[in-house]
Amino acid sequence: MNNKSSNNGNIANNNIDKKFWDEEISTASREKIQQLQLKRLKKTIKHCYKNNNFYKKRIDDAGINPDKISSLDDLNKIPFTTKDDLRDNYPFGLFCTPLSEVVRVHASSGTTGNPTVVGYTKKDLDMWAENLARIMFDVGVRKDDIVQISHGFGLFTGGFGFLSAAEKIGCMVIPISSGVTERQLKVMKDYNSTVIVCTPSYCLYMAEVAEKIGLDFKDLSLKFGFLGGEPWTDSMKDEIEKRLKIKAFNSYGLSEVLGPGVSCECNQQNGLHINEDHFIAEIIDPKTGKTLDIGQKGELVFTSLTKEAFPVLRYRTKDISYLIDEPCLCGKTFIRMAKPMGRTDDMLIIRGVNLFPSQIEEVLLKIKDLEPHYLIVVDRINYMDTIEVWVEVSEKIFHEKIMDLEFFEKSIEEKLYSSIGIRIKVKLKEPKTIERSEGKAKRVWDKRKEL
Amino acid sequence: MDLEFWDSNIELMSREKLEMLQLERLKKTLINVYENVSFYKKRLDDCGVNPYKFSSFDELEKIPFTTKEDLRINYPFNMFARPLNKIVRIHSSSGTTGNPTVVAYTKYDIEVWGDIIARQLFALGIRSGDVVQNSYGYGLFTGGLGLHYGIETLGAIAIPVSGGNTERQIKIMQDFKSTALCCTPSYALYIAEVGKELGVDFNNLNLKVGVFGAEPWTDQIRIEIEQRLNINAYDIYGLSEVMGPGVACECTFKDGLHIAEDSFYPEIIDPATLKRTKKSEIGELVFTTINKEGMPLIRYRTKDLTKLNYNTCYCGRTHARMSKVIGRSDDMLIIRGVNVFPSQIEEVLMNIKEIEPHYLIVVERRNYLDYIEVWVEVSEDIFSEKMNALEAFESSIEHKLYSAIGINIDVKLKEPKTIKRSEGKAKRVVDMRKGEKP
Repeated sequence: MNNKSSNNGNIANNNIDKKFWDEEISTASREKIQQLQLKRLKKTIKHCYKNNNFYKKRIDDAGINPDKISSLDDLNKIPFTTKDDLRDNYPFGLFCTPLSEVVRVHASSGTTGNPTVVGYTKKDLDMWAENLARIMFDVGVRKDDIVQISHGFGLFTGGFGFLSAAEKIGCMVIPISSGVTERQLKVMKDYNSTVIVCTPSYCLYMAEVAEKIGLDFKDLSLKFGFLGGEPWTDSMKDEIEKRLKIKAFNSYGLSEVLGPGVSCECNQQNGLHINEDHFIAEIIDPKTGKTLDIGQKGELVFTSLTKEAFPVLRYRTKDISYLIDEPCLCGKTFIRMAKPMGRTDDMLIIRGVNLFPSQIEEVLLKIKDLEPHYLIVVDRINYMDTIEVWVEVSEKIFHEKIMDLEFFEKSIEEKLYSSIGIRIKVKLKEPKTIERSEGKAKRVWDKRKEL
Repeated sequence: MDLEFWDSNIELMSREKLEMLQLERLKKTLINVYENVSFYKKRLDDCGVNPYKFSSFDELEKIPFTTKEDLRINYPFNMFARPLNKIVRIHSSSGTTGNPTVVAYTKYDIEVWGDIIARQLFALGIRSGDVVQNSYGYGLFTGGLGLHYGIETLGAIAIPVSGGNTERQIKIMQDFKSTALCCTPSYALYIAEVGKELGVDFNNLNLKVGVFGAEPWTDQIRIEIEQRLNINAYDIYGLSEVMGPGVACECTFKDGLHIAEDSFYPEIIDPATLKRTKKSEIGELVFTTINKEGMPLIRYRTKDLTKLNYNTCYCGRTHARMSKVIGRSDDMLIIRGVNVFPSQIEEVLMNIKEIEPHYLIVVERRNYLDYIEVWVEVSEDIFSEKMNALEAFESSIEHKLYSAIGINIDVKLKEPKTIKRSEGKAKRVVDMRKGEKP
């Protein structure tokens, strides 16, 4: 019944003896990888300089001659690109090809201000699929596999990246998208899904629902999970592997750089191999901007090497990690990054959706009868992130009972949902009950950090 | 008008050549299902059709229809004509009752699908550089991903917004300068309404083309959408069992939807007798897929009612045109023995200028008698008028409905914005006889 055949099982196709999707590059010597990186870096810098005013000005202002990049060390002369740069150039200002060559646009999930918009040419989409196909294949995904993609599809990059990659390998893809957990489980059981793609917290939630409806993962065919979209710990990984009876791989990516497929764990599950033929990773001190040595913890910065429509030069991810350059037992020579361990800014990740406290504030402060005192409370209950906001109402509302407070809460929740795109519970509080600060206000209470 | 074609060889193919191509592909399909799907092997054996000797369209008529029920019984994968390692994608219906219907695509099928939609969008004037906002839902539903890959195949820019969050849709439409919009016609109207509330002037946007489908809609609704969004609105048709969106689509002449006849062979049957009828008369549309590998279907009953027109179109395309779907053989309401289609009611209502394009048909049984009423929204001005004026207005609509359809339908005027809006397929009928509630 249990058909968890591994990749050396009975696969009747030409993949039978192939260990790597692209062995030549995945196991190349450091010297060869760096040669390739330098060649592609030169090309990317010239491409940005020639085709985009923002980058041209940046590079000119920094006094760099794009024709005179001669080593990878020259990279740290290039100024960083930040999310603010993306916002300032909204929507298409950082594209480096004409729109007639762009075939796809993705954007960051719900923001009150301008979203960050990224574009892809046909070649970019193919490169994206290739990067993720390599990641999936190298841990054992083959064309016989049935891949259930429970990430959202749409402007969010999560679903699409894996769809194209799995189709490229020749897997059967179930683009089920997110939500309706019982249906997810029915599909998993009826269609014999062997691979699940979603956020780690959703994985655990599925396990919980399965338990409730009496479904045992032992009886399913699931063997791998590619999980990402939010930081997760080793203990969470152990829990997922134990409950779903799978190997759970940490997958990392961000839409500004590509989407999923920037890096992912191999079957050693000890650090995420960065696809170094397409991206250069650096770790910097977030305060000084100085490049740090291998092994030192700091902010991850990426430069894309092969993108056409939306290349990035030294993009600051705000994710905290460090690099590992010791040889890996899996045989791949790509450098690894430690799983991301936090953020340098106040961005919250709620069930895979990125959210800044300022977005909530912007909505609240536009509503009459609310005081400018609020607290965002984030927790993880039954492995699912929860978020609520406590906000004070004016004396008048509170004492004169001139309106139904419950109705008022609902209407604020609707406003938050329509501008941010996720459900946030609102709790109205009596005036003067939320703690005041004398210095920097504490606006977020993230109970997940206390777990 | 300059007419260009994505694939003139196929689109302008002479009727004779097209039929030869169809016959050849039909035979290939029958052999495929005979050899690879045990359900069809038995079917063909039972009705005595030898796929290897298949030689005429008439012979097709011997083969029994395939129905949704057949797909349910063969859930999930028994209708597939390829092993799972050749299937790269599956889609499915929402399956509110019982098992969903599952459909499968090989790499070739996905490519053909993209190419057909690219051809159709190209015919509507969409080119590379166009910004196409795709507001169909993405996921197992074929609408989102189906249109999506067609947009990319064409080389235009796909914005996969998916459904919902209407204010954000409008912001994107403004900021990204979307030139085309894909969604259900009822959602297009809702976008227009929300836009108006936000003070958006659609005349100032870049939107020029709308590609709307997934639910039946009338020419009157088309006029509403075109006026409110300041675009040309076109009808696209499809169903996941046959492929998804793109089975047929209008050209700029808006005079019927060209069926992609190189991939789908249509028939029209009488849903009561199940016999083939004249293709130019209204009946149920039946499709045989002739260019699919993963899950071909033979004589699939769509339940959609339409008629076909084989005259060459002004645009020059030879592919047969189906008229806009006038309803579903399932949706046909039988009111005291009279067949009534919701689209007939819509047509009458939309010709009355004071009425908003939002209505709900409520059917119930009182004292063992079928009873039908229709709730319609009227504009603010009308609603603030005196009671007796409203009553007179109601009677005048009732009279119009009676003279067009031949049964008495009670009309209830409703305040503006009180009838529920849809972000996907609109729900136009509540049949309380089936336990539904308004």
